[in-house]
Amino acid sequence: MISEVLLWNAIIGGVVFGAVYALIGCSLNVLAGVLRVINFAHGEFVIAGSFFSYALLNSFDIHPLVALPICAAAFFFAGIGLYYLLVPRLAHSDEPETASFLLMFGVSLMAVSVITWIFEADIRPMNFSFEPINVTLFKIPDAYGPGRDGRVLVPTARLVALVVNLGLIAALTWFFYRTLPGKALRATTMNREAVQIVGINIHRLSAMAFGLATALAGITGVLLALVVPSIDPNGGPDIALVGFIVIVLGGLGHPVGALFAGIIFGFVEQFSNLLLPQAAAQMVGFIILVAVIFVRPEGLFGKGQLK
Amino acid sequence: MPKLTHIDEAKASRIRHTVWFALIAIVVVWFGSIPTLDGNLSLYFSLMLWVTMATSFNIIAGFTGYMPFGYVAFYGVGTYATAILVVNHDISPYIAIPAAGLAGVGLALIFAPTLRLGGIYFAIVSLALAVIMQRIVGLAPEDITGGSHGLNLGQKTERQEGYYAMLLVLVAALTTVTWLARSRLGKALKAIRDDAEAADAMGVNVQRSRLYAWLMSALFGSLCGGVQAWFTGALDPITAFDVLVTAKTVIYAMAGGLATVTGPVVGTVILVWVDELIWREFPVLNNFLLGLIIALLILFMPRGIVGTIMQRFPRMRRLIM
Repeated sequence: MISEVLLWNAIIGGVVFGAVYALIGCSLNVLAGVLRVINFAHGEFVIAGSFFSYALLNSFDIHPLVALPICAAAFFFAGIGLYYLLVPRLAHSDEPETASFLLMFGVSLMAVSVITWIFEADIRPMNFSFEPINVTLFKIPDAYGPGRDGRVLVPTARLVALVVNLGLIAALTWFFYRTLPGKALRATTMNREAVQIVGINIHRLSAMAFGLATALAGITGVLLALVVPSIDPNGGPDIALVGFIVIVLGGLGHPVGALFAGIIFGFVEQFSNLLLPQAAAQMVGFIILVAVIFVRPEGLFGKGQLK
Repeated sequence: MPKLTHIDEAKASRIRHTVWFALIAIVVVWFGSIPTLDGNLSLYFSLMLWVTMATSFNIIAGFTGYMPFGYVAFYGVGTYATAILVVNHDISPYIAIPAAGLAGVGLALIFAPTLRLGGIYFAIVSLALAVIMQRIVGLAPEDITGGSHGLNLGQKTERQEGYYAMLLVLVAALTTVTWLARSRLGKALKAIRDDAEAADAMGVNVQRSRLYAWLMSALFGSLCGGVQAWFTGALDPITAFDVLVTAKTVIYAMAGGLATVTGPVVGTVILVWVDELIWREFPVLNNFLLGLIIALLILFMPRGIVGTIMQRFPRMRRLIM
């Protein structure tokens, strides 16, 4: 019998990590849908966001929550720059998706060496904590036998990250369904040619999409540094892989689908950590990915508008 | 320019093949004499290894149009099959290497259903499968795979024999693609890559042709892994299934030009040499420059060196394979 405290921890962990995965998947899917770019370097973008917040904290004593908008703005413009540098030329290649995958692999190699060149290859601790460090959500009476109550604790930083994250997810959903640029982005995913006929400047929109995705990756990095307060410069590929699982689960190029898929994946991960031996738990995500691709290649939430 | 007649083309093809096999013969003599001349064994070995990897990757990526981003899975399984047979069961590497090749083919058969997937889905699933393989090997019982520490073949194998085995695998791989390029199967594969439906309508067995290419590609990939284990004598799950192995293979093959016989060879020779130079001159910037080269290649030369030459100078097509 699994203790009730552990069960609650898994549920809370599922929501906290799931929300982070949802953001990663959402930004990856903006790129996949609008630009047909599969961003292998996304993990490095996220880690760059973490280091951005780390540097602001250590050099200028800037609170991570204040760093959030600064990071978003900086990454947005960096993303637009990167777009004009890289993407337009990709249109010439025979198979843009595969070419983008390889191109971004090259970018990821460069990003890792720049990051390790600046911050060195060690894992950095994020020396930051809220007051109080932990919040007791509720008590479970007699969890460890009669008279010994269990407490469900959450680090405050994780709780703050979750609140910010859920706010962002709500804002993104509103953006995609209720604003003109958001609708234009979704329309581009569905039919690139038709969007141009109705008078949308596809290049400006694409640049904006790249900027948005990069800004989201940076924000995810800042939040991730709050959730897991140690930053690994070589952790990029793992993050990117989780991102790929999430976007395939949610449907390639379907930003809102990725939000749901991220939360689902967070739960699956936390519960398999709880229920399965460590060895098997690490593989569950990949097995789900392979299974979903065979059974429902358009993803759990895709409507088949993409091939 | 006079129109090429059928006989001219046959003649050109014969000349092309004679020159190509003469070049291979020269390389065999040259590389074969390195151990006796006290040359840089490791450099020549890695040159042969990567030429073979890029060439066998080309069978599935160039001729067939799939992009297996987890190609390292075959390489890794080859290294482990060899090491487990040699270390745990005291089997001679001369038997262990072919067995490793078979293990790779077996794995390719298990992965064969992924060939149903197209484009980027195939690439992502392939990548995921390679990661799964790495985890399985790393988490298997330690008395079989050595766990995360890996295995050591040091005492049981001879480095120089491994070097000659690599030369043998290299020649086998080059002969295979040369044969493939003008065989019925090779032409079927290119037809399928360009338009699967049309090829199917013309009576090409699409699925079987793809499967053959997939198995051939896996066979040489795992042989490479096996010989690599023989030569270096040590392995662990992180390096045996490193994404960088796939990445280097893809880059070398693409730099030369996919779907050409000579492309992967040219690409590998140039880039391994550049890589060596970068390592020596700028050890800190190594990965940065490697990434930069990939990005520049994709952006400015997506067809690779040989492919670009063939595109710019159509007449050169007669001379290049």
